[in-house]
Amino acid sequence: MDTWLKICIVVVFAVATTGNEEATPAKLLFSKQILNKYLVEGMDIVIKYSLFNVGGTAALDVQVADNTFGPQDFEVVGGQLKVTIDRIPPGSNATHVVVIRPSKYGYFNFTAAEVSYLPSEDAAEALVGLSSEPGQGAIVPFKEYDRKFSPHLLDWLSFAVMSMPSLVLPYALWYSSKTKYEAILTQKKDK
Amino acid sequence: MTQKQKALSKEEEILLQDFSRNVSTKSNALFYGNAFIVSAIPIWLFWRIHFMDLLTSSPLFLIITCLSTYLVSFAYKKTKFVLKHKVAVKREDAISREISKMIAEDKKMNKKEKDERVLWKKNEVSDYEATTFSIFYNNALFLAVVIGLSFFLLKSFSPSFNYIFSVGLSSGLIALLSTGTK
Repeated sequence: MDTWLKICIVVVFAVATTGNEEATPAKLLFSKQILNKYLVEGMDIVIKYSLFNVGGTAALDVQVADNTFGPQDFEVVGGQLKVTIDRIPPGSNATHVVVIRPSKYGYFNFTAAEVSYLPSEDAAEALVGLSSEPGQGAIVPFKEYDRKFSPHLLDWLSFAVMSMPSLVLPYALWYSSKTKYEAILTQKKDK
Repeated sequence: MTQKQKALSKEEEILLQDFSRNVSTKSNALFYGNAFIVSAIPIWLFWRIHFMDLLTSSPLFLIITCLSTYLVSFAYKKTKFVLKHKVAVKREDAISREISKMIAEDKKMNKKEKDERVLWKKNEVSDYEATTFSIFYNNALFLAVVIGLSFFLLKSFSPSFNYIFSVGLSSGLIALLSTGTK
């Protein structure tokens, strides 16, 4: 019995040590998401980049670059479109958020961002990958969005002020004459 | 004979005025002025809320405002005519008492002159009240219908068509309603 137990312990240790020597290289899954419900000219768009390391080794020198937002069409308001993450451990993830502002309206094709990383410590070449593509989105003109969603409180107040003379004045004139002659009638009735 | 004819024609004149659908020049000016102002007010809404450009849409604004001015003033006149008789009936007693009180001390005035004065005053008061109430009622109805059409029923239309139909239909509707006899 003791002999069998010792043999089992030796086998377990052997398996454990050989497992470490054959760890899978790092493999990153990369997604790109547009978090906005509405894409509006001149208003912020939030882009979220998520990296998942599904490999057995840490991914090193992870460089994320998104070259799809040209400076003539977009302005970077927060974050950076090129980021370096030193290490993503195996089985963990990393996220990065960028806020951009479109300067024009129209249809825009949101394509993939690029990632390059070293799959292991002794890897000679970096692996290159692409993110998911959010696809085509319509960036609506600001006027359309404002027309649909803005409460326009001040404009309604101004409209009310402008309408008042056309409504209040004729009513007041009619009401004053009406009350005058109704008062004459009631005075006589009281007598 | 000549004096009687004159007296009769004066009475007839008042009666004719009372029953006539025609309005005086002063009333006309009042109606068209008010109609123009109330027809122009919705332009503010379409410029600020529907974002219609003032300069490029100015010919459209001008045409529709003119059409609406005509229809709204038509509604004023028709409504006034219907109201005038109702007001005259209501105010008859009060006006008679007012005139009686005013001429109580003037014993030179005969009954006929007094009746003429009452008739004239009745015409004036009913004209005044009918005019003011007609303007108030039609303005309120017009603005309410414009808002209802442009922000609820026609909100998915393009701003230009929204303006044409909401202002056009509103003024048409109040013109149509004013032709009713009750």
